[in-house]
Amino acid sequence: MAEHSNPSPYEQAESRAARALEQLVAKPSFGVLLAQTAENVAAITRIGSDLADLVLRNLRIAGRADITRLARQLHRTEDKLELVLQEVEHLSDELARTSMTRTPVARTPPAASPARAAKANGARVERPKAAAP
Amino acid sequence: MSTLQTLAKLPSATAEFANVILTVPDARIGQTPRDTVWTHRNTTLYRYRSDQREHTVPILLVFALINRPEIFDLRPGNSFVEFLLASGFDVFLVDWGVPDEADADMGLAEFICDELHWAVRETLRACGTDELTLLGWCIGGTLCAIYCALHPAGAVRNAVLLTTPIEPNRSLYASWVGHDEFDVELIAERYRVVPGSGIDWANKLMKPVTNYLTTYRRLFQSILGGNDPRLGYQGMAKWVADNPPFPGKAYREWITWMYQENKLVTGGVYLRGQRVDLAQIEQNLLVVTADGDHIAPPAGTIPILELVASEDVTHLERQGGHIGLMAGSKAKQEIWPELADWLRERSDN
Repeated sequence: MAEHSNPSPYEQAESRAARALEQLVAKPSFGVLLAQTAENVAAITRIGSDLADLVLRNLRIAGRADITRLARQLHRTEDKLELVLQEVEHLSDELARTSMTRTPVARTPPAASPARAAKANGARVERPKAAAP
Repeated sequence: MSTLQTLAKLPSATAEFANVILTVPDARIGQTPRDTVWTHRNTTLYRYRSDQREHTVPILLVFALINRPEIFDLRPGNSFVEFLLASGFDVFLVDWGVPDEADADMGLAEFICDELHWAVRETLRACGTDELTLLGWCIGGTLCAIYCALHPAGAVRNAVLLTTPIEPNRSLYASWVGHDEFDVELIAERYRVVPGSGIDWANKLMKPVTNYLTTYRRLFQSILGGNDPRLGYQGMAKWVADNPPFPGKAYREWITWMYQENKLVTGGVYLRGQRVDLAQIEQNLLVVTADGDHIAPPAGTIPILELVASEDVTHLERQGGHIGLMAGSKAKQEIWPELADWLRERSDN
Protein backbone atom coordinates (compact mmCIF):
# COMPACT_ATOMS: atom_id res chain seq x y z
CA MET A 1 0.00 0.00 0.00
CA ALA A 2 1.12 3.55 -0.66
CA GLU A 3 0.85 4.27 3.05
CA HIS A 4 3.60 1.78 3.83
CA SER A 5 5.84 2.62 0.88
CA ASN A 6 5.77 6.36 1.22
CA PRO A 7 4.07 7.52 4.41
CA SER A 8 3.28 11.21 4.74
CA PRO A 9 4.72 13.20 7.67
CA TYR A 10 1.29 13.02 9.30
CA GLU A 11 1.19 9.24 8.97
CA GLN A 12 4.70 8.96 10.39
CA ALA A 13 3.66 11.08 13.38
CA GLU A 14 0.53 8.98 13.83
CA SER A 15 2.57 5.80 13.73
CA ARG A 16 4.98 7.15 16.35
CA ALA A 17 2.09 8.26 18.54
CA ALA A 18 0.53 4.80 18.22
CA ARG A 19 3.73 3.11 19.36
CA ALA A 20 4.19 5.54 22.24
CA LEU A 21 0.63 5.10 23.49
CA GLU A 22 0.82 1.31 23.17
CA GLN A 23 3.92 1.39 25.35
CA LEU A 24 2.11 3.65 27.80
CA VAL A 25 -0.93 1.39 28.18
CA ALA A 26 1.35 -1.63 28.66
CA LYS A 27 2.90 -0.16 31.81
CA PRO A 28 1.81 -1.73 35.13
CA SER A 29 1.01 1.71 36.56
CA PHE A 30 -1.50 2.24 33.75
CA GLY A 31 -3.14 -1.06 34.71
CA VAL A 32 -3.49 0.12 38.30
CA LEU A 33 -4.95 3.44 37.19
CA LEU A 34 -7.39 1.66 34.92
CA ALA A 35 -8.44 -0.70 37.72
CA GLN A 36 -9.13 2.20 40.09
CA THR A 37 -11.08 4.04 37.41
CA ALA A 38 -13.17 0.96 36.62
CA GLU A 39 -13.97 0.46 40.31
CA ASN A 40 -14.95 4.10 40.77
CA VAL A 41 -17.19 4.06 37.71
CA ALA A 42 -18.79 0.81 38.89
CA ALA A 43 -19.43 2.26 42.33
CA ILE A 44 -20.96 5.47 40.96
CA THR A 45 -23.11 3.53 38.51
CA ARG A 46 -24.43 1.31 41.28
CA ILE A 47 -25.19 4.26 43.57
CA GLY A 48 -27.08 5.96 40.74
CA SER A 49 -28.96 2.79 39.90
CA ASP A 50 -29.93 2.12 43.53
CA LEU A 51 -31.07 5.71 43.94
CA ALA A 52 -33.24 5.57 40.83
CA ASP A 53 -34.72 2.29 42.05
CA LEU A 54 -35.48 3.81 45.44
CA VAL A 55 -37.31 6.73 43.84
CA LEU A 56 -39.41 4.41 41.69
CA ARG A 57 -40.20 2.15 44.62
CA ASN A 58 -41.38 5.08 46.73
CA LEU A 59 -43.63 6.08 43.86
CA ARG A 60 -45.07 2.55 43.96
CA ILE A 61 -43.73 1.84 40.47
CA ALA A 62 -41.89 -1.36 39.63
CA GLY A 63 -38.16 -0.67 39.42
CA ARG A 64 -35.29 -2.53 37.83
CA ALA A 65 -34.83 -4.75 40.89
CA ASP A 66 -38.49 -5.84 40.77
CA ILE A 67 -38.28 -6.69 37.07
CA THR A 68 -35.04 -8.59 37.65
CA ARG A 69 -36.67 -10.59 40.45
CA LEU A 70 -39.58 -11.44 38.18
CA ALA A 71 -37.25 -12.41 35.33
CA ARG A 72 -35.31 -14.72 37.67
CA GLN A 73 -38.53 -16.50 38.58
CA LEU A 74 -39.28 -16.95 34.88
CA HIS A 75 -35.78 -18.32 34.37
CA ARG A 76 -36.24 -20.86 37.12
CA THR A 77 -39.49 -21.98 35.53
CA GLU A 78 -37.85 -22.19 32.13
CA ASP A 79 -34.99 -24.26 33.55
CA LYS A 80 -37.49 -26.75 34.96
CA LEU A 81 -39.45 -26.80 31.69
CA GLU A 82 -36.25 -27.50 29.76
CA LEU A 83 -35.45 -30.47 31.97
CA VAL A 84 -38.99 -31.80 31.57
CA LEU A 85 -38.79 -31.42 27.78
CA GLN A 86 -35.46 -33.27 27.72
CA GLU A 87 -36.97 -36.05 29.79
CA VAL A 88 -39.95 -36.25 27.43
CA GLU A 89 -37.62 -36.42 24.44
CA HIS A 90 -35.56 -39.11 26.14
CA LEU A 91 -38.69 -41.17 26.82
CA SER A 92 -39.91 -40.57 23.27
CA ASP A 93 -36.59 -41.84 21.89
CA GLU A 94 -36.75 -44.86 24.18
CA LEU A 95 -40.27 -45.58 22.99
CA ALA A 96 -39.20 -45.28 19.35
CA ARG A 97 -36.30 -47.64 19.96
CA THR A 98 -38.55 -50.17 21.72
CA SER A 99 -41.13 -50.10 18.95
CA MET A 100 -38.34 -50.45 16.37
CA THR A 101 -37.07 -53.64 17.97
CA ARG A 102 -40.62 -55.01 17.87
CA THR A 103 -41.36 -54.02 14.25
CA PRO A 104 -38.16 -53.48 12.29
CA VAL A 105 -38.66 -50.47 10.01
CA ALA A 106 -36.32 -47.98 8.40
CA ARG A 107 -34.80 -45.75 11.05
CA THR A 108 -35.64 -42.10 10.81
CA PRO A 109 -33.60 -39.44 12.59
CA PRO A 110 -35.16 -38.20 15.82
CA ALA A 111 -37.06 -35.02 15.09
CA ALA A 112 -37.60 -32.26 17.60
CA SER A 113 -40.72 -32.92 19.62
CA PRO A 114 -43.80 -30.80 18.76
CA ALA A 115 -43.66 -29.22 22.20
CA ARG A 116 -39.99 -28.21 21.76
CA ALA A 117 -40.57 -26.95 18.24
CA ALA A 118 -43.40 -24.81 19.53
CA LYS A 119 -41.21 -23.53 22.36
CA ALA A 120 -38.36 -22.69 20.00
CA ASN A 121 -40.76 -20.73 17.79
CA GLY A 122 -42.16 -18.89 20.77
CA ALA A 123 -45.63 -20.36 20.29
CA ARG A 124 -47.94 -21.43 23.10
CA VAL A 125 -48.51 -25.13 23.47
CA GLU A 126 -52.23 -25.83 23.63
CA ARG A 127 -53.18 -28.63 25.96
CA PRO A 128 -56.53 -30.43 25.91
CA LYS A 129 -58.85 -29.11 28.58
CA ALA A 130 -59.84 -31.47 31.34
CA ALA A 131 -63.43 -32.64 31.17
CA ALA A 132 -65.78 -30.96 33.61
CA PRO A 133 -66.60 -33.15 36.58
CA MET B 1 -4.51 13.85 -7.28
CA SER B 2 -3.37 17.48 -7.17
CA THR B 3 -3.81 19.62 -4.07
CA LEU B 4 -6.47 21.64 -5.87
CA GLN B 5 -8.41 18.53 -6.82
CA THR B 6 -8.16 17.25 -3.26
CA LEU B 7 -9.48 20.56 -1.90
CA ALA B 8 -12.31 20.56 -4.40
CA LYS B 9 -13.31 17.05 -3.37
CA LEU B 10 -13.02 17.72 0.36
CA PRO B 11 -16.63 18.90 1.01
CA SER B 12 -18.28 15.96 -0.76
CA ALA B 13 -15.83 13.48 0.81
CA THR B 14 -16.56 14.94 4.26
CA ALA B 15 -20.29 14.61 3.68
CA GLU B 16 -19.92 11.02 2.51
CA PHE B 17 -17.61 10.19 5.43
CA ALA B 18 -20.21 11.53 7.86
CA ASN B 19 -22.91 9.57 6.08
CA VAL B 20 -20.92 6.34 6.26
CA ILE B 21 -20.31 6.81 9.99
CA LEU B 22 -23.87 7.89 10.82
CA THR B 23 -25.57 5.07 8.92
CA VAL B 24 -23.51 2.26 10.46
CA PRO B 25 -26.48 1.09 12.58
CA ASP B 26 -28.46 0.54 9.36
CA ALA B 27 -25.93 -1.94 7.96
CA ARG B 28 -27.34 -5.43 7.59
CA ILE B 29 -25.30 -8.28 9.00
CA GLY B 30 -26.07 -11.95 9.65
CA GLN B 31 -28.37 -12.32 6.66
CA THR B 32 -27.94 -15.98 5.73
CA PRO B 33 -31.35 -17.66 6.15
CA ARG B 34 -31.58 -19.83 9.25
CA ASP B 35 -34.11 -21.61 11.42
CA THR B 36 -34.43 -21.63 15.17
CA VAL B 37 -33.87 -25.15 16.48
CA TRP B 38 -33.85 -24.63 20.23
CA THR B 39 -34.02 -21.86 22.80
CA HIS B 40 -33.31 -21.68 26.50
CA ARG B 41 -33.13 -18.46 28.49
CA ASN B 42 -31.18 -16.12 26.19
CA THR B 43 -29.48 -18.90 24.24
CA THR B 44 -30.70 -19.78 20.76
CA LEU B 45 -29.52 -22.56 18.53
CA TYR B 46 -29.83 -21.81 14.81
CA ARG B 47 -29.45 -24.08 11.83
CA TYR B 48 -28.56 -22.45 8.52
CA ARG B 49 -30.67 -23.45 5.55
CA SER B 50 -28.87 -25.37 2.84
CA ASP B 51 -29.71 -27.76 0.04
CA GLN B 52 -26.13 -28.83 -0.55
CA ARG B 53 -25.24 -30.67 2.66
CA GLU B 54 -22.66 -33.31 1.79
CA HIS B 55 -20.81 -34.05 5.01
CA THR B 56 -22.39 -36.11 7.74
CA VAL B 57 -20.73 -34.38 10.69
CA PRO B 58 -22.38 -31.02 11.38
CA ILE B 59 -20.50 -27.95 12.59
CA LEU B 60 -21.59 -26.06 15.69
CA LEU B 61 -20.22 -22.51 15.77
CA VAL B 62 -19.57 -20.98 19.19
CA PHE B 63 -18.59 -17.37 19.64
CA ALA B 64 -17.45 -15.35 22.65
CA LEU B 65 -19.70 -13.98 25.37
CA ILE B 66 -18.70 -10.36 24.76
CA ASN B 67 -19.66 -9.83 21.11
CA ARG B 68 -22.46 -11.04 18.88
CA PRO B 69 -21.91 -14.17 16.75
CA GLU B 70 -22.86 -12.35 13.53
CA ILE B 71 -19.12 -12.08 12.83
CA PHE B 72 -19.47 -15.62 11.46
CA ASP B 73 -21.95 -14.29 8.93
CA LEU B 74 -20.94 -10.69 8.36
CA ARG B 75 -22.40 -9.94 4.93
CA PRO B 76 -23.26 -11.78 1.73
CA GLY B 77 -20.06 -12.48 -0.16
CA ASN B 78 -17.96 -12.22 2.97
CA SER B 79 -19.57 -14.73 5.31
CA PHE B 80 -17.84 -17.72 6.88
CA VAL B 81 -21.22 -19.42 7.31
CA GLU B 82 -21.98 -18.92 3.61
CA PHE B 83 -18.56 -20.37 2.77
CA LEU B 84 -19.11 -23.46 4.94
CA LEU B 85 -22.57 -24.03 3.46
CA ALA B 86 -21.15 -23.77 -0.05
CA SER B 87 -18.49 -26.30 0.98
CA GLY B 88 -21.23 -28.80 1.82
CA PHE B 89 -21.32 -28.53 5.62
CA ASP B 90 -24.38 -28.57 7.85
CA VAL B 91 -23.90 -25.45 9.97
CA PHE B 92 -25.39 -24.64 13.38
CA LEU B 93 -24.75 -21.58 15.51
CA VAL B 94 -25.20 -21.10 19.22
CA ASP B 95 -26.13 -17.51 20.05
CA TRP B 96 -25.75 -16.58 23.74
CA GLY B 97 -28.17 -13.70 23.35
CA VAL B 98 -28.04 -10.45 25.29
CA PRO B 99 -27.98 -11.05 29.05
CA ASP B 100 -29.35 -8.60 31.57
CA GLU B 101 -29.32 -8.31 35.35
CA ALA B 102 -31.49 -11.38 35.72
CA ASP B 103 -28.65 -13.39 34.15
CA ALA B 104 -26.00 -12.22 36.61
CA ASP B 105 -26.00 -15.77 38.05
CA MET B 106 -24.86 -17.27 34.75
CA GLY B 107 -21.35 -18.58 35.33
CA LEU B 108 -19.03 -20.58 33.10
CA ALA B 109 -20.60 -23.79 34.43
CA GLU B 110 -24.03 -22.63 33.25
CA PHE B 111 -22.70 -21.70 29.82
CA ILE B 112 -20.70 -24.89 29.34
CA CYS B 113 -22.53 -27.60 31.29
CA ASP B 114 -26.03 -26.38 30.45
CA GLU B 115 -26.29 -24.11 27.43
CA LEU B 116 -23.46 -25.56 25.32
CA HIS B 117 -24.14 -29.14 26.37
CA TRP B 118 -27.80 -28.81 25.51
CA ALA B 119 -27.00 -27.04 22.23
CA VAL B 120 -24.76 -30.00 21.30
CA ARG B 121 -27.60 -32.36 22.20
CA GLU B 122 -30.13 -30.46 20.12
CA THR B 123 -27.72 -30.23 17.16
CA LEU B 124 -27.34 -33.99 17.15
CA ARG B 125 -31.08 -34.49 17.43
CA ALA B 126 -31.80 -32.05 14.63
CA CYS B 127 -29.56 -33.81 12.12
CA GLY B 128 -29.82 -37.36 13.40
CA THR B 129 -26.10 -37.93 13.86
CA ASP B 130 -24.08 -38.83 16.92
CA GLU B 131 -20.98 -36.70 16.27
CA LEU B 132 -20.27 -33.07 15.49
CA THR B 133 -17.54 -30.50 15.08
CA LEU B 134 -17.23 -27.71 17.65
CA LEU B 135 -15.76 -24.54 16.21
CA GLY B 136 -15.06 -21.88 18.82
CA TRP B 137 -13.64 -18.43 18.41
CA CYS B 138 -12.04 -16.30 21.14
CA ILE B 139 -13.73 -17.06 24.50
CA GLY B 140 -16.02 -19.38 22.53
CA GLY B 141 -12.91 -21.46 21.78
CA THR B 142 -12.06 -21.66 25.46
CA LEU B 143 -15.61 -22.79 26.23
CA CYS B 144 -15.29 -25.47 23.53
CA ALA B 145 -11.90 -26.63 24.89
CA ILE B 146 -13.36 -26.94 28.39
CA TYR B 147 -16.38 -28.78 27.01
CA CYS B 148 -14.13 -31.25 25.16
CA ALA B 149 -12.08 -31.78 28.32
CA LEU B 150 -15.24 -32.54 30.29
CA HIS B 151 -16.61 -34.90 27.62
CA PRO B 152 -13.61 -36.69 26.07
CA ALA B 153 -15.79 -39.59 24.98
CA GLY B 154 -18.71 -37.35 24.05
CA ALA B 155 -20.21 -36.29 20.77
CA VAL B 156 -17.43 -33.95 19.64
CA ARG B 157 -15.34 -35.53 16.89
CA ASN B 158 -13.42 -32.41 15.86
CA ALA B 159 -12.60 -29.25 17.79
CA VAL B 160 -11.46 -26.07 16.07
CA LEU B 161 -10.14 -23.28 18.27
CA LEU B 162 -9.69 -19.88 16.63
CA THR B 163 -7.57 -17.23 18.39
CA THR B 164 -8.46 -18.75 21.74
CA PRO B 165 -7.09 -17.68 25.13
CA ILE B 166 -5.80 -20.73 27.01
CA GLU B 167 -3.00 -19.30 29.14
CA PRO B 168 -3.43 -15.54 28.76
CA ASN B 169 -1.77 -14.51 32.01
CA ARG B 170 1.13 -12.82 30.20
CA SER B 171 -1.02 -10.80 27.81
CA LEU B 172 -1.59 -7.04 27.94
CA TYR B 173 -5.09 -7.64 29.24
CA ALA B 174 -3.58 -9.62 32.11
CA SER B 175 -1.43 -6.63 33.04
CA TRP B 176 -4.67 -4.68 33.47
CA VAL B 177 -6.88 -7.17 35.27
CA GLY B 178 -4.48 -9.83 36.50
CA HIS B 179 -3.13 -7.95 39.55
CA ASP B 180 -4.51 -7.56 43.05
CA GLU B 181 -5.47 -3.90 42.58
CA PHE B 182 -8.18 -4.96 40.14
CA ASP B 183 -11.03 -6.00 42.40
CA VAL B 184 -13.03 -8.25 40.09
CA GLU B 185 -15.44 -9.17 42.90
CA LEU B 186 -16.38 -5.54 43.35
CA ILE B 187 -16.84 -4.93 39.62
CA ALA B 188 -18.99 -8.06 39.19
CA GLU B 189 -21.05 -7.37 42.31
CA ARG B 190 -21.63 -3.69 41.58
CA TYR B 191 -22.54 -4.08 37.93
CA ARG B 192 -24.21 -7.53 38.13
CA VAL B 193 -23.76 -7.62 34.36
CA VAL B 194 -20.57 -5.89 33.24
CA PRO B 195 -21.46 -3.46 30.43
CA GLY B 196 -20.26 -4.60 27.04
CA SER B 197 -19.34 -1.04 26.14
CA GLY B 198 -16.82 -1.02 29.00
CA ILE B 199 -15.18 -4.22 27.78
CA ASP B 200 -15.16 -2.91 24.22
CA TRP B 201 -13.56 0.33 25.44
CA ALA B 202 -10.85 -1.66 27.22
CA ASN B 203 -10.20 -3.76 24.11
CA LYS B 204 -9.87 -0.64 21.98
CA LEU B 205 -7.60 0.97 24.54
CA MET B 206 -4.99 -1.71 23.84
CA LYS B 207 -4.28 0.04 20.53
CA PRO B 208 -5.73 3.50 21.16
CA VAL B 209 -4.41 5.37 18.14
CA THR B 210 -5.18 2.56 15.70
CA ASN B 211 -8.73 2.11 16.98
CA TYR B 212 -9.72 5.70 17.66
CA LEU B 213 -7.84 7.54 14.91
CA THR B 214 -6.19 5.44 12.20
CA THR B 215 -9.40 3.55 11.31
CA TYR B 216 -11.27 6.81 10.65
CA ARG B 217 -8.34 8.45 8.89
CA ARG B 218 -8.04 5.49 6.51
CA LEU B 219 -11.79 5.51 5.89
CA PHE B 220 -11.67 9.21 5.03
CA GLN B 221 -8.65 8.76 2.77
CA SER B 222 -10.37 5.88 1.01
CA ILE B 223 -13.42 8.04 0.32
CA LEU B 224 -11.23 10.93 -0.77
CA GLY B 225 -9.43 8.54 -3.13
CA GLY B 226 -12.73 7.78 -4.86
CA ASN B 227 -13.36 4.36 -3.31
CA ASP B 228 -16.61 3.21 -1.75
CA PRO B 229 -15.65 1.54 1.54
CA ARG B 230 -19.26 1.56 2.80
CA LEU B 231 -19.92 -2.13 2.31
CA GLY B 232 -16.72 -3.35 3.90
CA TYR B 233 -16.59 -0.82 6.71
CA GLN B 234 -20.16 -0.60 7.93
CA GLY B 235 -20.78 -4.30 8.58
CA MET B 236 -17.66 -4.64 10.68
CA ALA B 237 -18.23 -1.30 12.45
CA LYS B 238 -21.78 -2.35 13.36
CA TRP B 239 -20.57 -5.68 14.70
CA VAL B 240 -17.76 -4.06 16.72
CA ALA B 241 -20.19 -1.61 18.31
CA ASP B 242 -22.65 -4.31 19.37
CA ASN B 243 -21.40 -5.49 22.74
CA PRO B 244 -23.71 -7.51 24.97
CA PRO B 245 -22.99 -7.32 28.68
CA PHE B 246 -20.91 -9.99 30.43
CA PRO B 247 -22.87 -11.74 33.23
CA GLY B 248 -21.23 -10.89 36.56
CA LYS B 249 -20.58 -14.46 37.68
CA ALA B 250 -19.06 -15.52 34.35
CA TYR B 251 -16.94 -12.34 34.28
CA ARG B 252 -15.64 -12.95 37.79
CA GLU B 253 -14.76 -16.56 36.99
CA TRP B 254 -13.19 -15.69 33.64
CA ILE B 255 -10.93 -12.95 35.05
CA THR B 256 -10.01 -14.88 38.20
CA TRP B 257 -9.40 -18.27 36.64
CA MET B 258 -7.76 -17.15 33.43
CA TYR B 259 -5.91 -13.92 34.20
CA GLN B 260 -5.32 -13.84 37.95
CA GLU B 261 -4.83 -17.49 38.89
CA ASN B 262 -4.05 -19.08 35.51
CA LYS B 263 -6.07 -22.12 36.50
CA LEU B 264 -7.08 -23.62 33.17
CA VAL B 265 -3.66 -24.94 32.13
CA THR B 266 -2.84 -26.11 35.64
CA GLY B 267 -6.04 -28.10 35.92
CA GLY B 268 -7.41 -26.00 38.74
CA VAL B 269 -10.80 -25.23 37.21
CA TYR B 270 -13.72 -27.25 38.54
CA LEU B 271 -17.18 -27.02 37.00
CA ARG B 272 -19.95 -28.58 39.09
CA GLY B 273 -17.37 -30.61 40.94
CA GLN B 274 -15.73 -31.98 37.80
CA ARG B 275 -12.09 -31.07 37.18
CA VAL B 276 -11.31 -29.50 33.82
CA ASP B 277 -8.19 -31.31 32.67
CA LEU B 278 -7.11 -30.29 29.18
CA ALA B 279 -5.09 -33.52 29.01
CA GLN B 280 -8.44 -35.29 28.66
CA ILE B 281 -9.02 -33.73 25.22
CA GLU B 282 -8.85 -36.55 22.68
CA GLN B 283 -10.74 -35.00 19.80
CA ASN B 284 -9.15 -34.11 16.48
CA LEU B 285 -7.87 -30.64 17.21
CA LEU B 286 -7.16 -27.64 15.02
CA VAL B 287 -5.70 -24.58 16.71
CA VAL B 288 -5.48 -21.34 14.74
CA THR B 289 -3.47 -18.38 16.00
CA ALA B 290 -2.84 -14.95 14.49
CA ASP B 291 0.61 -13.40 14.74
CA GLY B 292 -0.78 -9.90 15.25
CA ASP B 293 -3.37 -10.89 17.85
CA HIS B 294 -3.05 -8.56 20.85
CA ILE B 295 -6.17 -9.86 22.62
CA ALA B 296 -5.29 -13.58 22.57
CA PRO B 297 -1.60 -13.61 21.63
CA PRO B 298 -0.33 -16.91 20.16
CA ALA B 299 1.92 -17.44 23.20
CA GLY B 300 -1.23 -17.71 25.31
CA THR B 301 -2.86 -20.29 23.01
CA ILE B 302 0.02 -22.55 22.02
CA PRO B 303 0.33 -24.27 25.44
CA ILE B 304 -2.78 -26.30 24.61
CA LEU B 305 -0.85 -28.14 21.90
CA GLU B 306 1.38 -29.74 24.51
CA LEU B 307 -1.39 -30.45 26.98
CA VAL B 308 -3.97 -32.38 25.00
CA ALA B 309 -4.03 -36.14 24.45
CA SER B 310 -5.33 -35.85 20.88
CA GLU B 311 -3.42 -37.84 18.29
CA ASP B 312 -4.55 -35.55 15.48
CA VAL B 313 -3.38 -32.03 16.32
CA THR B 314 -2.87 -29.27 13.77
CA HIS B 315 -1.64 -25.75 14.45
CA LEU B 316 -1.95 -22.95 11.93
CA GLU B 317 -0.30 -19.63 12.67
CA ARG B 318 -1.24 -17.01 10.10
CA GLN B 319 -0.82 -13.30 9.61
CA GLY B 320 -3.62 -11.18 11.00
CA GLY B 321 -5.32 -9.91 14.09
CA HIS B 322 -7.73 -11.37 16.60
CA ILE B 323 -10.77 -10.76 14.40
CA GLY B 324 -9.18 -9.73 11.10
CA LEU B 325 -7.73 -13.21 10.58
CA MET B 326 -11.19 -14.71 10.14
CA ALA B 327 -13.24 -11.72 9.08
CA GLY B 328 -10.76 -9.64 7.10
CA SER B 329 -10.80 -9.15 3.36
CA LYS B 330 -8.21 -11.92 2.78
CA ALA B 331 -9.89 -14.55 4.94
CA LYS B 332 -12.02 -15.94 2.13
CA GLN B 333 -8.96 -16.69 0.01
CA GLU B 334 -6.61 -17.74 2.80
CA ILE B 335 -7.78 -19.15 6.12
CA TRP B 336 -11.34 -20.26 5.26
CA PRO B 337 -10.25 -22.75 2.56
CA GLU B 338 -7.64 -24.15 4.94
CA LEU B 339 -10.29 -24.66 7.63
CA ALA B 340 -12.69 -26.24 5.12
CA ASP B 341 -9.98 -28.63 3.90
CA TRP B 342 -9.15 -29.70 7.45
CA LEU B 343 -12.83 -30.18 8.28
CA ARG B 344 -13.61 -32.00 5.04
CA GLU B 345 -11.06 -34.72 5.81
CA ARG B 346 -12.68 -35.32 9.20
CA SER B 347 -16.39 -34.82 8.58
CA ASP B 348 -17.51 -38.00 6.87
CA ASN B 349 -18.23 -41.46 8.17
